Amino acid sequence: MGEIFDWIDNRFGIRQPHRKFLHRDIPEGVNYSFCLGGAALVCFIMLFLSGIMLSIYYVPSETEAFNSIVRINNEVRLGWFIRSFHKWSSNLLIISIILHTIRVFIYKAYRSPRELNWVAGSLTLVIVFASGFTGYLLPWDQKAYWATEVGTSMAKTIPIIGKYLLYLVRGGEDVTGTTLIRFYAMHIIYLPSCLFILLWAHFHMVRKQGIKGGL
Amino acid sequence: MSQISISHRSPYKLSRGHKMVRRTFLKKTIKLFFFVVSSISISVFFLFSYPWKIRKKELTFFYVTDEDMLPVKGVRQVSIEYSRYSRPMRTKAYIVNTGSELFALSPVCSHLGCLVNWNWPRKRFLCPCHGGQYDITGNVIKGPPPAPLSRLPMKIDKEKVYIGLRV
Repeated sequence: MGEIFDWIDNRFGIRQPHRKFLHRDIPEGVNYSFCLGGAALVCFIMLFLSGIMLSIYYVPSETEAFNSIVRINNEVRLGWFIRSFHKWSSNLLIISIILHTIRVFIYKAYRSPRELNWVAGSLTLVIVFASGFTGYLLPWDQKAYWATEVGTSMAKTIPIIGKYLLYLVRGGEDVTGTTLIRFYAMHIIYLPSCLFILLWAHFHMVRKQGIKGGL
Repeated sequence: MSQISISHRSPYKLSRGHKMVRRTFLKKTIKLFFFVVSSISISVFFLFSYPWKIRKKELTFFYVTDEDMLPVKGVRQVSIEYSRYSRPMRTKAYIVNTGSELFALSPVCSHLGCLVNWNWPRKRFLCPCHGGQYDITGNVIKGPPPAPLSRLPMKIDKEKVYIGLRV
């Protein structure tokens, strides 16, 4: 195994940059709360993997969405497990990313030279919330429907542009199958792609600027 | 990094007959952890994505035509309508009378499964996909098909003709 990897890496050369990235100096005064960002990353990876598995069986259509969820839960082998895994990982991701934000705030790690990284992190937080919100509609049951009805109607309260923003988000006047497909596309393509770019930027800046030490 | 006392000798060379140092132990533990987690994940993936039920296809007879509508000599195309997962499906079959023998031929080309058409002027079954050609009894004349057209079970009951399909 090691020899095969060596053969590949002698040509591909991925080990050296990763070693540079992963083996870095840790300042004094760090503690376990500095692991919260890593915990969020692990949650994101788990969500990504369980999400691409669920996408095999989920059908984003007005008539079939709920039925496909029932099928995943009751008939697909380990379907209940993967769906619960996705659900609980999403909860854990939101919890750990909020705690991570609080930790950064308390340790004043948003100050120069890390302002841009704080911005990238905040955008990540917003996109994670959006992912959670769009994912909530996908089971297409009563709870999901009304949560989306209420959640999207918040957009209407914005002066002047609110109405048009609401139509944009819902893909029409009401929450319908169009909204479902919109949210599905957001949930599985648009938002994860943004997250990948943002996380890459986030980790790049963590590497360049180093970890802020204790208080 | 520099505070670690083993930095002047490679931990990789401490395998046989030496005491395992802490760093090697940790590395091995982490490797084992990732190996276990990834093999479990891959097994779960295949268990999850493999179809949970595979239906056995059963031989069913479909009414196609009356006995007096059978060809005296030549080929007649019949269409068969059935439902699969409560969706209407439609396929065809050929009833062939060579003069000495009466049988039903499946239109599914033995090469890659396209449906062949009977070409009356040339007295051949032609496959539109890769140019396979069969004669009236279903034997390959030209092209890539590895086997002749398969025959379908046919029965005549009370002047009605039935053809059996696995659906």
